[in-house]
Amino acid sequence: MAEIIIDDKKFEFEEVGKVLQFILDNGMDLPFFCYHPSLSIPANCRQCFIEAGQMVKDRESGEYELDEDGNPVIRWFPKLMTACSLDMADGMVIKTHVTSEKVKVAQADTLELILINHPLDCPICDQAGECPLQIQTYKYGPEGSRFEHKKVHKPKRIQLGPRVILDAERCINCTRCVRFTDEVSKTHQLSIVSRGDKNYPITAEGQVFDDPYSLNTVDICPVGALTSADFRFKARVWEMNQTPSIDVTNGKGVNIDLWTRDNLVMRITPRFNKEVNDHWMPDIGREAYRLFNENRVSKPIIKLDGDQVRSSWNNAFMTVSEKISSVKSDEILLIGSPYASLEDNYAFQNWFNRLGVSDVYFTPHIEKGYGDDLLLVDDHAPNTNGCKALGFKEVDAKKMAKLLSDESYKAVFILGDDLLSRVDIDDSALESKYLVSFATNHTETTKKSDLVIPITSSAEHIGSYINVDERIQRTIPAKETMYTNRKLDLEMSMGRLDHFGTKFDNWVSDKNRVDCIPAWEVLVRIGNEMNLEFNFASPQDVLEDITDKIPALENVSYDRMDKENGIALKLSAPKSVTT
Amino acid sequence: MSKEYTFDKDDLKKIEEIKSRYPEVTPAVMPVLWLAQDKFGHVEPAVQKLVADTLGLPQAHVQGVASFYTQYYKKEKGKFVLDVCTSFSCQICGGYEILDHLENKLGIKAGETTEDGMFSIQSVECLGACGYAPMLQVTNDKYVNNLTTEKVDSLIENLKQGKMPEFESIPMPQHETES
Repeated sequence: MAEIIIDDKKFEFEEVGKVLQFILDNGMDLPFFCYHPSLSIPANCRQCFIEAGQMVKDRESGEYELDEDGNPVIRWFPKLMTACSLDMADGMVIKTHVTSEKVKVAQADTLELILINHPLDCPICDQAGECPLQIQTYKYGPEGSRFEHKKVHKPKRIQLGPRVILDAERCINCTRCVRFTDEVSKTHQLSIVSRGDKNYPITAEGQVFDDPYSLNTVDICPVGALTSADFRFKARVWEMNQTPSIDVTNGKGVNIDLWTRDNLVMRITPRFNKEVNDHWMPDIGREAYRLFNENRVSKPIIKLDGDQVRSSWNNAFMTVSEKISSVKSDEILLIGSPYASLEDNYAFQNWFNRLGVSDVYFTPHIEKGYGDDLLLVDDHAPNTNGCKALGFKEVDAKKMAKLLSDESYKAVFILGDDLLSRVDIDDSALESKYLVSFATNHTETTKKSDLVIPITSSAEHIGSYINVDERIQRTIPAKETMYTNRKLDLEMSMGRLDHFGTKFDNWVSDKNRVDCIPAWEVLVRIGNEMNLEFNFASPQDVLEDITDKIPALENVSYDRMDKENGIALKLSAPKSVTT
Repeated sequence: MSKEYTFDKDDLKKIEEIKSRYPEVTPAVMPVLWLAQDKFGHVEPAVQKLVADTLGLPQAHVQGVASFYTQYYKKEKGKFVLDVCTSFSCQICGGYEILDHLENKLGIKAGETTEDGMFSIQSVECLGACGYAPMLQVTNDKYVNNLTTEKVDSLIENLKQGKMPEFESIPMPQHETES
C-alpha cells in the first residue's frame, strides 16, 4: 500500500487525494481559508503551506536510497507547497508547522499579510467565535502587525440581496462565495471586482443576490464579510446551543443544526450529510426557525359557544374521551400527517386501531414545479413516505374535501398539519362535526377546530422522518417544553447559558417554553383516561413497536440513524391507495 | 435610466471572429470589452451587460474582468484620460507631484472628469515605463515621459487644441552606448 510520511509519522493510503484533506481526515490540524471539500481548489489564500518532498527511489532496485546515516534521501520541492492542491504520492514526505520552523514562519507571515487590511472588529462581528481567521490567528498568527499605515477602506453594510449583507473590509478574497455561486447553485451572481488590496466579491451592478441558496455563502465565508441579514447581531455564537436535526419544511430531509438560546431557535445551519445535502441547504429552510418560536399553540384550546378559549390538559383529555365514547367507531375520521413524525403518526394510527378505527387518511403537500435540481423537491412535507410506510391512505385534496364533508363522520381527528389550508372546503360542511386537531402552530386548521391539542414540534421532540429518497433520519430535541428539562434529558445538549444562566439574570427565562406534549404521549394519557392498553414510555418504545411490525423498517434504531447519518430504506409498502 | 446600448451587425460579426480565436468563450471577454469601449467610449455597467449577454456569460464575470483593469472605463470619461503612474519608480521620481500638479491645474481629483468633458485624471499602477519615470499615458494611447510640471502644462495646452502628443522613442542607456 502507498505510504506517506507526515511529520515523521507514517500513514498508509489507498486513494490519492489532496494532502490537506488527508491531514484533516486523520485528525491533524493545518490552517486554511479558501479550501472547501465541495468546491474547486484555487489555492489562493496560501495559508496551508507545507514542506513537501519525495523519497528518492533507486530506479533499478526499486529501493529507497539511503544516505550515510541510513536515513532515506529526500528530494524536497524547492519552495513551500499548498497542501490543499498537492496530490498525495507514494513515498511523499510532508512537514507541517509541527516539525518545520519554515512552515511555522510562513503561516504567521501569511496571516500577517491577510490581516493588514482586516478591520479587526471582532467584538462587533457576527462571525467572532466561529471565525477561521480569528481561530487561526490565535493559533498560528504573528504576535502583532508591523503595518503602521492606514488600512484600505472598502464598502461596508452592502445589502447584496434580501438575505445577505456584505462587509468588504473583512473579506480576505478566498473566493469561496464566488465558487459556490459558480459551481453549486450555478447562478453565477458573485464575482471578485477590482484588484490588489481593493478587491472584494459583489454582484454585477444592478443585480440582486437572490440566489435561493445564498445563505450558504454566509456559512462558508471564513470571515465575517458575508453575514445573514436576518441573524445579524441577534446572538453570539458562544451563547447558543447547537443541536443536530432535520429540516421539516421540505421532503428532501436536509440535515441541519438548530442553534438555540434560552429555548428560542436563533438560526438554522446545514449539517454535512454526503448522502442528502452535502454541506448545503436552501435559504427557505432556514426560515423554519420562526415556526419553532412564533405563533405556537401553548396549552389546549377549546371552543365554547363559538369562542376558542384556553383549557386545562385534564379538561382536554376528558373532552376527547367523552367525544369518542359518544360516537361509533365508523363515525370517526382519522387524518394523519406528512408533517408529523413517524412515531406520532404510528401512535395515532395504533391508538385508534384499538378503538376499532382502522383507516387513516392523509393528503400529501406536493406543489408541482416547486423543486429544483439541487435540494428543493416538489414535496413540502418531510414525512410523506413515512405515511405511506404506515399504510395510510393517500387521497388528494379534492377527495379529502369530500371525506371531510361526508355527513357520516361525526368526529374528525387531524394530526399536526395545516390540512385545511390546502383543502378547499366550506366551513358549513365542518359545522356538524367535532374537529380535534393536534397542532404545533396556530393555523387555518386550528382556527376551525373545536379542540386544539398542542403537540411538540420537531425542535422539541425525538422523531424520525422518511424523506423523498426513502431515507429515515431523526431529530433531537433542541428546545425545552414546559415538561422537559435539559439537565435531566440526556438527549438534549447544554450550552454555556444553559449551564450557567439562571432565571434571575438577563439572558435566561422560562418564557420561551411552550406548553405542549408529544402527540404519542398525549394519546398515552388520554388512553389512561379511557383504560386503553396503550403504554409507550418513550419515542424509542414507539419506534421499536414500528420496527417490529413493519418489515421495511426492520433493524431501524436511533443509534443506527445517528451513527450512519440516516438509513436508506427500501419501502415495499403499497403506494398511493386511494378510496 | 441609462442609455440603451446595442451592437450592430458589423460588431456582431467581429465578435464572432473574436470568439472563433479561442477554444472557450471566456477569453473573448477582454477583446469584446475593447470593441465595446472603442464603440461607446466606455464600458458602463449597461455596456458590460450587453457584452455579457452577447457572449452568453454572467454579468458578474464581465464586471470582474472590466473592474480589474484601469484601461477599461467603467463610467463615462473625458475626451482625454490622463493615466498618471503612481507605482514605485514613478512615485520615487515624483509621480505624486505630477498628479498633484495636474489635479490643481484642472481643478479635479484623480478619478474625476472636468466639467467641460475634456479631461479625466486617473492614478494608475505601473505602465511598464519605469525607465522614463515619471510618466503618464493619454487615453490608453501615447506615453508622455520624463514629466516635469512645464511638460504637463504644455501637454494640456496641446490637448486643448486637439494635438495629441507624438510617439517619443527613448533609447535605454545600454542601447545609447551601442549606437
